[in-house]
Amino acid sequence: MRFLALFLLLLAGGFTVVSLNWVNDRAIEPFTGWVARASGAALNLLGQEVRMEGTVIRSDRFAVNIRNGCNAVETLLIFGAAVLAFPASWRARLLGLAAGAALIQLVNLVRVVALFLTGAYLPRFFDASHTVVWQTLVVLCGVLLWVLWADRVALRRTAPG
Amino acid sequence: MRSAGPRPARPRTGGRRAGWAVRLLRNAFLWLLPVWAVWTLAAPGYNRLLLAAGEALLHLAESPNVSELLPRAGGHDAYLARRDFPPARTLVRGFRVTDLHFHLVLLGALFLAVPGVPWRERLRNLGWGALATAAFDLLLLLVFVQSVYAVGLGAWSLAHYGPFARNAWGLAEHLLDLPLKLALPFALWAGFYLRLLLDRT
Repeated sequence: MRFLALFLLLLAGGFTVVSLNWVNDRAIEPFTGWVARASGAALNLLGQEVRMEGTVIRSDRFAVNIRNGCNAVETLLIFGAAVLAFPASWRARLLGLAAGAALIQLVNLVRVVALFLTGAYLPRFFDASHTVVWQTLVVLCGVLLWVLWADRVALRRTAPG
Repeated sequence: MRSAGPRPARPRTGGRRAGWAVRLLRNAFLWLLPVWAVWTLAAPGYNRLLLAAGEALLHLAESPNVSELLPRAGGHDAYLARRDFPPARTLVRGFRVTDLHFHLVLLGALFLAVPGVPWRERLRNLGWGALATAAFDLLLLLVFVQSVYAVGLGAWSLAHYGPFARNAWGLAEHLLDLPLKLALPFALWAGFYLRLLLDRT
């Protein structure tokens, strides 16, 4: 119960903070821009010949605007709240936060690239992929990363012997 | 090259614990597709149920009853309507009902994936989890309607809701629709199975 109460408190607090205009303008929007640029670079590596216009990734076939909700901040906050609420050493927590954030962003990069390709080549599947499929997959990856961290890092480090 | 001599025994507890988490991960991905298929088939019926229950609850707080939640053809979308608005503006907002509850897929995959728990117990826990999620979906629908009334109808919203109410409904809808909706399956899963994870040390 303590874990759940702390988790929900940290989650609601974290989301309230990132919803503030000041935080959104100075941290979340620039971060979203970085996600868009990284996704654009990945798509160019795949030969899509995209160009960036702010947070819009555009090619001759399709264009997508990377906005809040496409930057995996929700999953990062769920993962972060779960790591901080779990009984573990601070070293294990910091390790979890750093590795988890990197892996979640990697999954999100795959998501944005896959969504762009879906919009370009299978446009009728774009809406369902955008909400149901990829949001579920990214959050599931965050949850499973937390389970692996709790099982293999946090509990192992706190276990006696 | 293989050594023919006796090998040191591996720490059994650690190996089993790591195996549990990896099996959970594998099972969750394996369950994702069947659960998604069931959810897709059930979504139109669940949408109708959600809209009917939501409208009935809205009417408890209204006098006269003016709010309507009208399902659209196809079963996935609906209109929020107000009977007291001029005929041309009765349909105040269209929305996708199915987007309110896709977290049920996550819930199903997580609850069915837990290794080492008898099937009967897994299904019973999933049933309780689904019931809690349905209550959450209903709450989300009601808060969505109130947030449309408070911040989405321009001059009408400004005339009927003060600054505090507009901020409160807007924030409540934002918190419920993004973080809490996405985190709910994990929170419920942790409520049922965190002890199992902790007891493995």
